[in-house]
Amino acid sequence: MNLLKITDLQTHFVFHDIDNYRREARALNKVNLNLNRGEIVGIVGETGAGKSLTAQSICGLLRPPAKVVGGSVLFLGKELLSLAEEDLNDIRGAEIGMVVQNPKSSLDPLTRIGDQLVRIHQTHTASAISVARSKAIAMMHAVGIPDPEKRFSAWPHELSGGMAQRVLIAMALMNEPKLLIADEPTTGLDVTVQAQILELLKDLVRRFEMGTIIITHDLGIVAHYCDKVAVMFAGEIVEYGTVTDIFRRPGHPYTKQLLASTPEKLKLNEAGSLGGQPPDLFNLPEGCLSQDRCSLASDQCRTPPPVITLETGQTVRCHFALQ
Amino acid sequence: MVLPLLIGVVFVTFMLVRVGGLDPVGLLAGPTATAEEFTMIRKDLGLDQPLWKQFLIYGGQVIQGDLGESWLSNRPVLEDITTRSFISLELLFWGIGLGAAIGIPVGLRAAFKPNGRFDQVTRIISLLGFSIPTYWLGLVMLFVFFYLLGWAPPGMGRISLMVSPPQFVTGSYLIDGLIEANWEAANSALTHLILPVLCLAIVSAAPIIKQTRAIALEVIASDTVRYARACGLKIKTLRAIVFRNSATPIITFVGTEITGLVGTMSLIEYVFAWGGLGQYGLNAIVRGDFTAVQGYVLTLALFSVLIFLIVDIVVAIIEPRSQLN
Amino acid sequence: MPPSVTHQLTWPRRTANRVRGLSRLSPTAAAGVVIIVCFGVLALFSEWFMTHDPVSSYPDRILQGPSYEHWFGTDGNGMDIFSRVIYGAKFGFGIAIPAVIIAVLIGIPVGLIAGYRGGALDEILMRIFDGLRVFPSIILALAVVAATGQSLLNVVLVLGFLDSPVFARLVRAEVLALRSSNFVESAIAAGNPTWRILFFHLLPNTIQGAMAQTAVRAAWAVRISATLAFLGIGIQAPTPEWGAMIRQGAEFMVTGQWWVAIFPGIALIFLVFGLNLLGDGIQDILDPRRRASK
Repeated sequence: MNLLKITDLQTHFVFHDIDNYRREARALNKVNLNLNRGEIVGIVGETGAGKSLTAQSICGLLRPPAKVVGGSVLFLGKELLSLAEEDLNDIRGAEIGMVVQNPKSSLDPLTRIGDQLVRIHQTHTASAISVARSKAIAMMHAVGIPDPEKRFSAWPHELSGGMAQRVLIAMALMNEPKLLIADEPTTGLDVTVQAQILELLKDLVRRFEMGTIIITHDLGIVAHYCDKVAVMFAGEIVEYGTVTDIFRRPGHPYTKQLLASTPEKLKLNEAGSLGGQPPDLFNLPEGCLSQDRCSLASDQCRTPPPVITLETGQTVRCHFALQ
Repeated sequence: MVLPLLIGVVFVTFMLVRVGGLDPVGLLAGPTATAEEFTMIRKDLGLDQPLWKQFLIYGGQVIQGDLGESWLSNRPVLEDITTRSFISLELLFWGIGLGAAIGIPVGLRAAFKPNGRFDQVTRIISLLGFSIPTYWLGLVMLFVFFYLLGWAPPGMGRISLMVSPPQFVTGSYLIDGLIEANWEAANSALTHLILPVLCLAIVSAAPIIKQTRAIALEVIASDTVRYARACGLKIKTLRAIVFRNSATPIITFVGTEITGLVGTMSLIEYVFAWGGLGQYGLNAIVRGDFTAVQGYVLTLALFSVLIFLIVDIVVAIIEPRSQLN
Repeated sequence: MPPSVTHQLTWPRRTANRVRGLSRLSPTAAAGVVIIVCFGVLALFSEWFMTHDPVSSYPDRILQGPSYEHWFGTDGNGMDIFSRVIYGAKFGFGIAIPAVIIAVLIGIPVGLIAGYRGGALDEILMRIFDGLRVFPSIILALAVVAATGQSLLNVVLVLGFLDSPVFARLVRAEVLALRSSNFVESAIAAGNPTWRILFFHLLPNTIQGAMAQTAVRAAWAVRISATLAFLGIGIQAPTPEWGAMIRQGAEFMVTGQWWVAIFPGIALIFLVFGLNLLGDGIQDILDPRRRASK
């Protein structure tokens, strides 16, 4: 059984505009993704492609006007989308750990970090305060926070960004989750700290055998730390496969563009053009969503592209995947 | 930070009268005065000096606690103000206390289910509270509870004329009466307090509800609460987090709101003939007793500054991010 | 439906749609508009609604309760309260609208210049505004009107002047946020004179926030002007102004002639309530978080 099985997940922004028209932005269009234990999947794509929205849809953390309008998310065979808030609460923070983008503003500014670690542990387990406390200190040690006994009573505002991110990782791991979702875990951190955090994350993921989703727009991170990669464009996963396969032989024109636009190549002036705007989510084109910015686009692209599995095992959503 | 503010406050109260169309000389001299008498009075009052010198003289007097003499009561303004301040503080304390005790929980509850039925209803009620003229509300209360039902005493003063007031301890007849176990006095003080306090509470609760709701909604939409949800914390814990993170802005808001409420309270005092600073000040304004008006406006401004300082201290104590900790 | 379709509709349909959309977005704003329009009609065409002359007294009918002849009764001078309440709407609008216009006309340029220029000028202005905040607005308005002379014009000027910092602060904050934006920088680089940048580039982008406040500020002006009249400052009885009428009725509240003060009070509440509803609704509409479909 897959750890996580996302089928045809659709999330839309639904509201009425000032002229009383019902407007619907189709932000996620039939996202499909499978994840096994011990696997690290990177989700990449440009801003607005729906990466974070996918994570929020999985955990039921969407805020109106965003809402899931179709599909299914099976976690260990359980349908998450139909769970009540209280039942979801038993899973979030326990079986699914989350690391978010802004560690300093995400921690509760009025609670000492040790108490926050104890709180998340006691919320999900019946353990005594002393047990939770020693577990918290052990976990702070594990994520590389120096002097955990002393830092236990530190306030969030006293931490550096990197330290706060380590605390968030410790929070996520306190209850030994089976699935870890890291949403841009290193955005805004120094490059050296980034590397430390990701190394740590990879190390812990292997140790605890968690399934992990890392959301990022940095292909370098994917290449170094992930087993598989899902490329998102306009709320769709256009290509999915192992990192080795996709980086060696990208099947989707958009992936090719993306790989061609890494900083090294930009410097060498070899970058393929990544021109054009992402499609208007209110007004998606018929057929392939990337037709407007694809050099291969032809009349065929007006019809929805098939999902083609290449011989390497990677899946590509494109008419021309086999060419 | 506070010092320039204080100088500014003194300056505004000074200008209030000097630049106004009213001529104190004409008032004092009367219609039959001769030109020599006019210059005499001008000299006496120091009005022949340049404006900046007059301001310095006035400022110097204020620092020494000399606010001049009221021509209505023929007594030093400072004396009038100090005795009446306690009378007003009693009303202010209970009124705003009750207003906050109603407004904060209601605002929080409305924010937990935005656009729910409770939210919609409290929203209309609080907007109505914004719109009711305080003095009219007081009059309606007197009509209903004094004239129609006979439950409340007439709106005159803060204790029945038949009851001798208790010894001065805190300045509040209610508390002082309880302290010396003078049940009759305490009871009479309480019945006199209820209507004006209710009036002030209603008027102060409306903005507190609205602002508490807005603050709590902001906190609910913050990264902190979204992350707390991602941690699967129980709804009760989430609410506690929202409440504690809203506390600082709410306290700050209530502090700034007190400034405006002091003005509102003056009107309530006026309607209920409360005899406090507010009534004194309004009478002074209406009758053109400008020495007293200056003293009154100055006192209110100083009181606001004092409240701001207290708020800063309270926030510094409860905020781990502040320098104090 | 895509936005382009909107333009294919004829304007009555489009307007109808927009009204429906607005009332869906914010029923409170819609209710506020209805109330304000009703009072506006009363104020403009009060002659059509008044049953008597608002200031002629019937000495034989002093302090009569509501009756068929005098719907809201008569006051201590024997004047018809219904007609006086209707006529009072003129004062409500007649004070609030010019006061808000003055506040906007002073506040917006001050905010624009303070925000754009910055430096000592900005610092001094902000200190002054901070300083004014320690005075209760009602008391300050009262004291200033009492000190500078009690005419209707003076009330309007003082209210407008005292309220201008609200708009100045709002506009200043927006200008500060926009000053370093690309379009302003490029306008400067293109050699536009300062006044052009202020009025053609910054003003249109800051005015929305200021306009959103006008309804709430008008509510404030109506309330304060009535308070002044209640205390006998500015407008004197027997002028048919609501606050002044409440003042006339105050003494009768404890002797049972409730109608003298109650009716003008209710009219005052409704107009202020309508303006507050509209103001609250505008904030809703401008806050995208509230736009979620329910």
